[in-house]
Amino acid sequence: MSREKLLQLGLDLPLFPVTAVGSFPKPDYLLQGRSDFRKHKITADQLHKLEERATTFWIEQQEELGLDVLVDGEMYRGDMVAYFAENLPGFEQGGLVRSYGNRYYHKPIITGAVEWTRPMTVDWWKFAQNLTQKPVKGMLTGPYTIMDWSFNEHYPDRRATCLALAWVIRREVEALIEAGCKIIQVDEPAMSVRPEELPVLIEGLQAVTQGLSAYFITHACYGAFEHIYPDMLKAPVDNFDLEMSNSDLDMLDLFRKNPFTKDISFGVTDSHSHKIEDVATVRRRVEQALTVLPKEQIWLDPDCGLKTRSVEESIGKLRVIVEAAKSLRS
Amino acid sequence: MKLLLANHSSYPRIGGTRELQQLRRTIAAWERKEANDETLHAAQNALVHAAIKEQEEAGLDVLTDGLIRWYDPISHLAGKMDGIEISGLLRFFDTNSYFRQPVAKAEIQAKNGLTVSEFEFATTATQKPVKAVLTGPYTLARHTIAEHAPYKEIGPLTHAYAEVLAKEISALAARGCQIIQLDEPAILKHRADFPVLQRAVQFLSRHKGKAMLSLAVYFGDPQPLYERLQELPIDMLALDFTYNPKLVERVVALGAQKPLALGLVDGRNTRLEDAAKLAHLIDRILLRVKGEFCHLQPSCGLEYLPRDRAAAKLKLLQQVRAHLKGSK
Ligand SMILES: [Zn+2]
Repeated sequence: MSREKLLQLGLDLPLFPVTAVGSFPKPDYLLQGRSDFRKHKITADQLHKLEERATTFWIEQQEELGLDVLVDGEMYRGDMVAYFAENLPGFEQGGLVRSYGNRYYHKPIITGAVEWTRPMTVDWWKFAQNLTQKPVKGMLTGPYTIMDWSFNEHYPDRRATCLALAWVIRREVEALIEAGCKIIQVDEPAMSVRPEELPVLIEGLQAVTQGLSAYFITHACYGAFEHIYPDMLKAPVDNFDLEMSNSDLDMLDLFRKNPFTKDISFGVTDSHSHKIEDVATVRRRVEQALTVLPKEQIWLDPDCGLKTRSVEESIGKLRVIVEAAKSLRS
Repeated sequence: MKLLLANHSSYPRIGGTRELQQLRRTIAAWERKEANDETLHAAQNALVHAAIKEQEEAGLDVLTDGLIRWYDPISHLAGKMDGIEISGLLRFFDTNSYFRQPVAKAEIQAKNGLTVSEFEFATTATQKPVKAVLTGPYTLARHTIAEHAPYKEIGPLTHAYAEVLAKEISALAARGCQIIQLDEPAILKHRADFPVLQRAVQFLSRHKGKAMLSLAVYFGDPQPLYERLQELPIDMLALDFTYNPKLVERVVALGAQKPLALGLVDGRNTRLEDAAKLAHLIDRILLRVKGEFCHLQPSCGLEYLPRDRAAAKLKLLQQVRAHLKGSK
């Protein structure tokens, strides 16, 4: 069914389309540039040039490797929630909170009505899409995750916050579609943190996608999916992009009991490990997937964003996925 | 009925000023081997002092050391036990913060003490009573990978942790600790395991000496377990009221057989509650509680908030108490 939708959108993808989840590591010159920019040593324009250079690098890499659906690599984002918080009126940057060990981050605070005033990702999508004939995914963070990863001082409760954010993200989706984007990924890594709130997550995604013409993907990872499966399949998306390898393909047992009814971007390499899997390992994972999923439903990608891996590790992991896909197709 | 103001457990270990970022810098230097253990401990001690000072300034009656030295609520305790190896990071409940997962490789046994030296240090920093905080045996077990065959079931694994914690509770009580809070957030997610928790708490309560034992549940709605939690052999029950808006009515309807620690101030969100409204709720609850006193404390540890907001939440406790109509 989703293949038909892709064709209607003008996208004829091969079997086992290969994609990336979203983020790639920033090359050293960009890390240096971001640090220099914070210290006011370079201008915003100079930083922007470095971000363009890095985005171009990653598009070229994906082209060369032979990915089928590309991403811009998020060279211009620090963090997947903070980026939107920084660009949306209604948010303030909060103080530091601890993530783990000695790592801290600024957790945004919603202090007023959150409003969409201008596109936040469209120029970057256009920039990336102009560099390639392959489709580039539009990449957004979902309303439930933005809500869960922010403090809220404005809206009455979590549901109201999620829905208000959903209308804002919808505007961005509309702007991406207007620019010509056909595949839009709305990441919800917080999907499973409160299983009892799954209806809120689904309601949020409905508000984001309803009536809009694009192929929608949502990404989730490292969660307790046994508590939300199969109900999570009610989410109004065409494709779930899921971390599978880090959790030893555990979810296949769930799929065996209740069939997985959507397309899946099946994480076939572990994004948390430095080790680059060999093609045989990736193939084996896909073959296991094929015991419960029809081949037409399967896309291949890494478990999660690759921004915590090195440039070499990221390219290595993508390469084995492409090679595995090629051997599976023939 | 007296209402005492308490800190829940953790407190932010960073802040906006240079002094309040000293610990982060020192840990980074220590990891690069550019600072020694002594320097690290000095930075930790300074931050414990700062946390205690902020609690005193907020007028609290029962303080904690802010768990400043804890890497996380699981590995800080489990990592000090024999039989345990510490592994990778996992998300801690729905907090978007991470803990290191223990792997039980062999029989779990006490090595040295877990938190007694932390407790003793905190008591030198204040005249006020210091509450000791321990993650409970059930929550430790729930977050552990059991590779040691006898621990494959949650019951024996919980009991193994309880044996070590019993020694810790005795040691804390022997050092004069008046109140020990056992944190068991995991039970709210796995209610069917209540009998496992019950056995562990029954066992631990026999080791508390003269100390009060408080059981804290949070990161979820305690209502479905409320009546059974009441029956545990504990001296105080600490509840998180932020997940279920109807919990206050439930507690008012059912009453409480023992003192409560009222987690009405949200430790997870920066929004400051209305002091008068909270006081009104507390007035109604206190009429229904058997005992001499209750605690008012945040719903959970405050380290999930930026420091300025955490401090504001502590000050709010005092404003709430000032609005009470009933006895204070
Ligand atoms: Zn992910």
